[in-house]
Amino acid sequence: MQLPTQKSVQQDEAPQKIEKMKHVVRRIKFESELDLDFGERVAEKAYGQKLLSCIQCGTCSATCPLAHYMDYTPRKIIAMTREGFKEEVLNSLTIWLCASCYSCYVQCPRQIHITDVMYALKREAIQLGFHPKRLPIPILAQEFYKRVLKDGRNTESWLLISLYLRTNPFKMLKESILGLKLFLRGRLTIGKEHVKRRDQIHAILEHKKGGQPL
Amino acid sequence: MHNYEQKEAVRIGFYICHCGHNIASIVDVKAVAEYVKSLPGVVVSCEYKYMCSDPGQELIQKDIHEHSLNRIIVASCSPLLHEHTFRTAVEKGGLNPYYFQMVNIREDVSWVHTDAKAATEKSKDLARAAVQRVFHHKALETKHVKIHPDVLIVGGGIAGIHAALTLANSGKKVFLVERQPTIGGHMAMFDKTFPTLDCAACILTPKMSQVKNHPNITLWTYSEVTKVDGYVGNYKITIKRKPRYINEELCVGCMDCIEKCVYKEGKTPDEFNVGLSKRKPVYIPFPQATPQIVLIDPEACIEFKSGRCKKTCVEACDRKAIDFNQKEEMKEIEVGTIILATGYHTFDAKRVPFYGYGKYPNVYTSLEVERLVNASGPTGGELILRDGRHPKTVGIIHCVGSRDKNTNRWCSRTCCMYSLKLAHLLKEHTEAEVYNFYIDIRAAGKSYEEFYDKLLDENVHFIRGRVAEVSDWAVRSSEEGKLIIRAEDTMIGIVRRIPVDMVVLAVGMEPQSDSQDVRRLFNISCSTEGFFLERHPKLAPVDTFTDGIFIAGACQGPKDIPDSVAQAGAAAAQALTLIDTGEIELEPNTAFVVQDDCSGCRTCLTICPYNAISRDEAKQKAFINEALCKGCGTCVAACPSGAIKQNLFEDEMIFSEINGLLENTPVVCC
Repeated sequence: MQLPTQKSVQQDEAPQKIEKMKHVVRRIKFESELDLDFGERVAEKAYGQKLLSCIQCGTCSATCPLAHYMDYTPRKIIAMTREGFKEEVLNSLTIWLCASCYSCYVQCPRQIHITDVMYALKREAIQLGFHPKRLPIPILAQEFYKRVLKDGRNTESWLLISLYLRTNPFKMLKESILGLKLFLRGRLTIGKEHVKRRDQIHAILEHKKGGQPL
Repeated sequence: MHNYEQKEAVRIGFYICHCGHNIASIVDVKAVAEYVKSLPGVVVSCEYKYMCSDPGQELIQKDIHEHSLNRIIVASCSPLLHEHTFRTAVEKGGLNPYYFQMVNIREDVSWVHTDAKAATEKSKDLARAAVQRVFHHKALETKHVKIHPDVLIVGGGIAGIHAALTLANSGKKVFLVERQPTIGGHMAMFDKTFPTLDCAACILTPKMSQVKNHPNITLWTYSEVTKVDGYVGNYKITIKRKPRYINEELCVGCMDCIEKCVYKEGKTPDEFNVGLSKRKPVYIPFPQATPQIVLIDPEACIEFKSGRCKKTCVEACDRKAIDFNQKEEMKEIEVGTIILATGYHTFDAKRVPFYGYGKYPNVYTSLEVERLVNASGPTGGELILRDGRHPKTVGIIHCVGSRDKNTNRWCSRTCCMYSLKLAHLLKEHTEAEVYNFYIDIRAAGKSYEEFYDKLLDENVHFIRGRVAEVSDWAVRSSEEGKLIIRAEDTMIGIVRRIPVDMVVLAVGMEPQSDSQDVRRLFNISCSTEGFFLERHPKLAPVDTFTDGIFIAGACQGPKDIPDSVAQAGAAAAQALTLIDTGEIELEPNTAFVVQDDCSGCRTCLTICPYNAISRDEAKQKAFINEALCKGCGTCVAACPSGAIKQNLFEDEMIFSEINGLLENTPVVCC
């Protein structure tokens, strides 16, 4: 006796499986593919966090409110960073999803400042150009910094405009009604705000980043 | 002594215990007490809330006097818990304690049944069985055996050394027997000890020389126990002293003979350095060996092989200590107690072929690395690999021969910690990158977790995943000339290939290869793994099932140094308890031969597991040594003429008990 339903399902799935098989990726790591100094470099950028002292307990992942959306949990990011999995870490969404809520930092039994590590990774990714071109999070950070560096203060309307121009200009049109409403209530200004002694702010920020381009 | 005539009338007192709610909530104790009152011979039958309490015991004593009771039955918990309590109470009441019988209606009835009515009926049956049994009880005497104050300790590792010193310091004479030419055991081979990183030799050698110089310790190295006779308090031991071909009285350990040996270089693998260096036929195991006496290996010595040696060693020895005609010597001693501290054996790494031990020269066992990093080791503490290189990357593989159903199932407990220690030492000696491949890190001990923390902070890599293979098969140019470790990094979730210069296998601990022979020699038990079995895993961890024999150290199971020392102290204390009691009380449940019925057939002689039966050749009868008899009953069952009886378990007692139990059971015809 034939089982028509089962057979049809098999026939339907067969081409998909074949298609999947074509895209099988190699899942092995050679030491020569790793950036063995990566962990140390990141740790240094994160103000000397001891990544090797992590015991991989997973508390950070369990406390993280955004872990559900991450491709690698924070625990795995630490494990990969210290072992030199540079490409995987810098290409991951995790570092951009971190909302800096500091929950992991509070609970970590080894007192590792995970949020600082995430910031270090974000900086590394921006410097090495490791994020998707139009991903808003790093662009927002860059534009915010530029604005503060220039004026010593952030003007939200200008920040939004430059953000939308660099990510999705069409979205600006869509959000323009909201922008208008905010403008009418005095939440957005057209004129640029700035501090009096812009040169001093500039000097502080230049000093802080130690001459490195952000 | 064995009074077969029962003259006075039997007057039984029966007491049933509520044990709070434990018994009374299921069994109708009142009904049982009422029922037992109606049975023949019962004078008193009553219930009480806690029979084991002082008022409960006093109740029994009062009734013995008031009602002239001569048999006592208590229906309560298991005899294991309170038989001794009630026997003592009965004795205080002026009755022989063996006129007492206990009925277990807690573990056997109330705790295992839910039907109250049936449970009450079962309790009545059990009570009736006991009532019928006690008619045949007799007054018995507990026997006392004197304890010889000397102690034999087998094994001169850290456990044996510690036990010997503890006993000797309390004034007891100790015989310490060690199979190897020196005491010190495995600990003497270690470089440092975790977690304090104390130098192992620095803390061990003072104890070794204390053993050598202690007036109360007789140290016999290069010796083995060959025969054990006797019983607790009175053991007769035969010890074989292997010939060293050196007169121990004359040798002072100047080592001139070693220097002058016709062999300019050693040719025999050095046991102490686990084969990493060579020694001469005349040698001393290591510089701090105790006793400091050389020995000659007849397997390697030309004089023994051909008889045509120039014997330069004899010329060199101005004390004339070398004696090629020395023979093995048998010593007989008497001791009261024995402590076994025979230690362990490291797992043979060749049994896991995937790790390439014996195939790739740069794969080492942990014990070899201990010697390699040691200042008195084969390289003087410099870490030089077998191919002459210095390692830049090292992989330490945990759980080799542990937690594996293909080899040994148990966790060897020490490997995690000694691997951490070796990681620290390797990093200190070579500044190499060190990778630890582990399944779990088990750092449960005082200051152990802190030591693990320290290693984490020292930037040692920890990769969670059991290594699948070590190979030299390079698939990338960067892997050429290296050993490649293949393991899943389960924390990241990817298989990795890590090229290293040196692989360290953290081998587990196994029972000594001859532990079964030793077990038979001393008549103790082994657990399924082959480690010696303790009497109780929690409450009698150093006792064995043979009285007067105690175990200490890794012969009982994998153990680190602090645990071995603690156990050695405990074993010494147990031995002292026996010695200071002076004599021990034996249960009178021993077997005896009714001489008139014995046909002298010898059946019982061969089957007695305790060698307690001997044959009086003049009378042609068997005779049972009561001090040796453990009351197992094997001979009673085996005797073809029914001539052997056992106190507390005589036929009439057992049959009347069975009769009593089945009296009310309806006979079913089939």
